[in-house]
Amino acid sequence: MTARPQFFVVAVVDDDQSILQSLEYLLESADYAVRTFASATALLESGDLPQIDCLISDVDMPGIDGFELVRLVHAARPGLPVILVTGYPDRLQRLPSLGGTHPRLFTKPFQGHELLEAVSETLRNAPG
Amino acid sequence: MLKTDAAVPVEQQFVLSNLAPGRAQKRLALGIVIGLLFALYLITGPLSGIQLGAVNGFIAVYATAMFVTDAVTAILLYAQFSILRSRAILVIASGYLFTALIIVVYILAFPGVLAPNGLIGDLQTSAWLYVVWHTVFPMFVVAYALSKEDSSKRLWSGKARPAILWSIALTAALAAAAGYVAIVWEAELPRLMLDPRRFSPNWPYFVGAPIASVCIAAIVALWLRRRSVLDLWLMVVMCLYLVEVPLSYYPAPMRFSTGWYAVRVVGFLSSSLVLTVLLYEITTLYARLLGAVLGQRRERDARLLTGDAVAASIAHEMRQPLTAMITTADAGFRFLDRAAPNLDKAKEAFRRITADGHRAGTLVGSIRANFKSDVTERTSFDLDELIQEALSLGGNELQKHRILVQAEPNRQLPPVSGNRVQLQQVLLNLIMNAVDAMAARDDPRILSVKSALYEDDRVVVSVADTGTGIGSLDAERLFNPLFTTKSNGMGMGLSICRAIVEAHDSRLWFTPNTPQGAVFQFTLLASGPAPAAG
Repeated sequence: MTARPQFFVVAVVDDDQSILQSLEYLLESADYAVRTFASATALLESGDLPQIDCLISDVDMPGIDGFELVRLVHAARPGLPVILVTGYPDRLQRLPSLGGTHPRLFTKPFQGHELLEAVSETLRNAPG
Repeated sequence: MLKTDAAVPVEQQFVLSNLAPGRAQKRLALGIVIGLLFALYLITGPLSGIQLGAVNGFIAVYATAMFVTDAVTAILLYAQFSILRSRAILVIASGYLFTALIIVVYILAFPGVLAPNGLIGDLQTSAWLYVVWHTVFPMFVVAYALSKEDSSKRLWSGKARPAILWSIALTAALAAAAGYVAIVWEAELPRLMLDPRRFSPNWPYFVGAPIASVCIAAIVALWLRRRSVLDLWLMVVMCLYLVEVPLSYYPAPMRFSTGWYAVRVVGFLSSSLVLTVLLYEITTLYARLLGAVLGQRRERDARLLTGDAVAASIAHEMRQPLTAMITTADAGFRFLDRAAPNLDKAKEAFRRITADGHRAGTLVGSIRANFKSDVTERTSFDLDELIQEALSLGGNELQKHRILVQAEPNRQLPPVSGNRVQLQQVLLNLIMNAVDAMAARDDPRILSVKSALYEDDRVVVSVADTGTGIGSLDAERLFNPLFTTKSNGMGMGLSICRAIVEAHDSRLWFTPNTPQGAVFQFTLLASGPAPAAG
């Protein structure tokens, strides 16, 4: 039984507008409902947090960075599937502890189908 | 002109016992010895008539001070050993520990200080302990000088802590044994004291002669090996020990005479001499180390501005639009691959890819414009100053790789015009490349930075090294972005250097150096007339 994408809402956070748009396109092509946010604060203040099923976030952003965002989101939504994206491959070696969770981490540029597989996999494994 | 010491490995330049004494230190040492001889003359000659009373508190204060200085000296030397692993340092540290321990027994046995006849031992005990103290320490000094000689086994290969603990245990055992003999066999040993104050006629044979001979042996051994600060000051200490011999017996062969008091003062001087030198040197070295650390930080900050850092930030800037283009293209394919292709969405995807492509193009253009536009911030400046700055920024690397720098200022040159910060980056980049090219070779490492007049209105700067040189295959690709022969480089340094120089309407090129290495040269526009020759 495969997950039915159109029932899932994916939130994307990235300070780079063109990356935000490209991810929106990629996720739409797989029939997900997408909400895009230009910063971590925009997501946290939007009130959308209870509705989303998966979060894709950039790591290096001004203000609240991706790691901090994961901690804040997990405080409100423990176990919410998270995928992180970074432009700095060194990040892979310096992944801080995120309260026992292990988000998938992708390096830019990534393969579109691999990211989509990761999304559907985390949604399948998500509690509830 | 900046020269670096090619003889001593860098990591040992900061270690005290390997440091060569400076001229000022040698003069000071000689001054102390001459002053000592003069004091000896005064006390045995003009001042010999002065009578001083017995002050028992004096000996207590004296022994306490001696114990503290010798113990602290021993601790500092043990600390030096744990860094250096030199057997010689371990030996001399043990020597200081030995004197500290013997002083404890000495004060317990000295009549009239803690008890009328001494707390332990009998009449001869304290005198024999004095002999042990003043003969065994010079023996430690001889052992120190001899163990320096044997360079093959000079360094301790095991762990420092057990070595220190063993040496403390053995030294304590030796001091305990000496104390035991002086206390238990007091009656069997030759008599050195007639009563608690007067020395016996035996004194010159059992005290004076042995002390004088081991001290002379120690001075000779140190003289033959004299190399370090520690050698020099131990020699002075041995001279102080030696002077104690005549002072003790002349003008009056008894305790609490002028000479005897003078011996205590000299003894304290000799005990604190090495400690003072150690503390002074440690403070000086600390200041030098601090300077070196700050220098390294400055150099790192400067390098952050240069090639590789610029390249890394460009790489990150380019990564963003590329990621967006790839991801949007992936999405476009997925819209087309559907059973019912969504053409509108696919078209929209292509439109965005084009937009991101243009964005990347703009980025590349702005990077080029960056080099161009900064040229508008041209100033007129002195080229020699720029060269000296770049050399001092790279000073730490140059010193680390023991590179001899030749950079004679050329006073005949006019000021040049350009973006000073960028040109400093170019120069530093060329210097660092030269260092990298020479670091791998054993041959003489010479970096020569020169400036000269070039054509009518230009100045040429050349950076010549004696490194590996540039093969003819590499020569063609040398200025290409991403070309590198370094394992840790991105290959952007030289291409950025060339871009900067060309943005100054000048040229950057290289020629082979003779007999080996490479010469990189770039020209700059003069901004004024040359100073008048003379």
